[in-house]
Amino acid sequence: MCGIVGFFVKDSGGPAEIGRTILGMLRALGCRGPDSAGVALYNTPDDGRLVVRVKLGDDGELGSRARQVSSRLESFAGVGPYSTIGAYARFSVSGETDLKRLTDAIESLDKDFEVVSMGRRLEIVKQTGSPDNLEKTYCVSRHQGTHGIGHTRLSTESRVDLSHSQPFWSHGYPDLAIVHNGHITNYHQLRRRYEQRGVRFYTENDSEVVAIYLAVQMARGASLREALERMLRDLDGSYSCLAATERELGFVKDTFALKPLVMTETDEFVAVATEEIAIRAALPGQYSVREAQVREVRVWQR
Amino acid sequence: MAEIVCGSRATREINIEIRRAIAAGDRDIVVKDPGARHNLGVAVLAPVRLRFAGSVGYYCAGLSDGPHVEIDESAGWGLAESMLGGEVIVHGSAGNGAAAAIRGGTVVIHGDAAARLGVSMKGGTVLVAGNCGYMAGFMGQKGTLVVCGDAGDAFADSMYETVCFVGGHVGGLGTDAVVESPSSGDAAWLDTILGKHLPEARKRGRDFQKIVAGRKLWNFDKREWKVWQEAL
Repeated sequence: MCGIVGFFVKDSGGPAEIGRTILGMLRALGCRGPDSAGVALYNTPDDGRLVVRVKLGDDGELGSRARQVSSRLESFAGVGPYSTIGAYARFSVSGETDLKRLTDAIESLDKDFEVVSMGRRLEIVKQTGSPDNLEKTYCVSRHQGTHGIGHTRLSTESRVDLSHSQPFWSHGYPDLAIVHNGHITNYHQLRRRYEQRGVRFYTENDSEVVAIYLAVQMARGASLREALERMLRDLDGSYSCLAATERELGFVKDTFALKPLVMTETDEFVAVATEEIAIRAALPGQYSVREAQVREVRVWQR
Repeated sequence: MAEIVCGSRATREINIEIRRAIAAGDRDIVVKDPGARHNLGVAVLAPVRLRFAGSVGYYCAGLSDGPHVEIDESAGWGLAESMLGGEVIVHGSAGNGAAAAIRGGTVVIHGDAAARLGVSMKGGTVLVAGNCGYMAGFMGQKGTLVVCGDAGDAFADSMYETVCFVGGHVGGLGTDAVVESPSSGDAAWLDTILGKHLPEARKRGRDFQKIVAGRKLWNFDKREWKVWQEAL
């Protein structure tokens, strides 16, 4: 199971209430994934700084840990005021664009520290439990922006904790995030290949390999559309997958059409979800919804 | 006429309400605000008119026998699955596995159908005004499948006696699917049924390709081992 959703405002002329819409969609799919819920939301406008969200561990006082990370980052980059909420700290960083250097600097401080997202617009929050829980901890519905994706998880093969929850940031590639419903059957083979090249995997969730795969393709110069199309060639299994960058939302449906995914597009917005019930629950109005076809790839760009 | 408003009610409650209306003698039932809920109007066995004023989710009108079901917008997976008789009409598009394993009756889709349309049909008629997706007609045993637009890949794979007609382009034929010329009787039948159910498709019977089983997979013959290797 699992439920995935995506929402993209075409031209709002300003920030739209994407948090409220995406939370509404996720709530309708709560029964498809009671284990965890998460969102990747894209802000507008950005001030050119990198937003870095770090998981600092599930217990204890986060303030001192956040200070520790901040002073480490200050040794080589500009760091704005930071905040902590739930299990996360949020930093805004300037003057350093090497994402690997930033990640290594943070994660070398403590084995529990984990960079969850990095980008100029991207903010990922996720935790175990329902979309209602996510709202309680992080007030997702107040978030304004341009687009976003979300996930409710029913774990089948790997652990239930924050790290294994989705969305996944594509480590190393700014602002690229994915949600995935399905199984990648050549996951171990792909993971081994990437690990031999020095890529670090944070979880045993097969969805993580989708995030890594897209990061590798896009770092080589592929567009989001090209990267999603190549997935059909290189990733086996059944999957419906949504991916977003700072300006795009896209999806791919597997070569057997085994996993559900429906979409609608109006003059104002695009909404994609595992089930139509999510779109109807969150977006009133007249529009038609259709199921994505086998091997279909779509990308919307602003 | 009975009117049932879904609002925040659970699916079970809505279905009980539909049954209650039928038992009370209502022959015209409108379900408002279905909101793409799953399992609506399943196993309705009376010749009533049942209209869903909106979209429905999975398995709508499955296992039904006799009703005339109309859906104003789109339908999710398994529309009319295993239907025995009656009519199911969708004004929007249908998700995967529409009309799967139907034994009788007519399913009309005014929009497009997604993957696995009419798989394992055992009778009945399926009519699609738009296109259909991957693997439509797979293992069809009886009945007729008509697609006015284009058909997706692996069309009519491993069929028995289902007869398919496609008005547009076939993305790829499935194993053992063969193309035949429609007879004048076929064309006349198509003209009649499309005139009745899908006049907007503006298709004439003679414009269709007919696709049936080549019967190569019906009986195992080791001299045709290569066919089997490809099929499996």
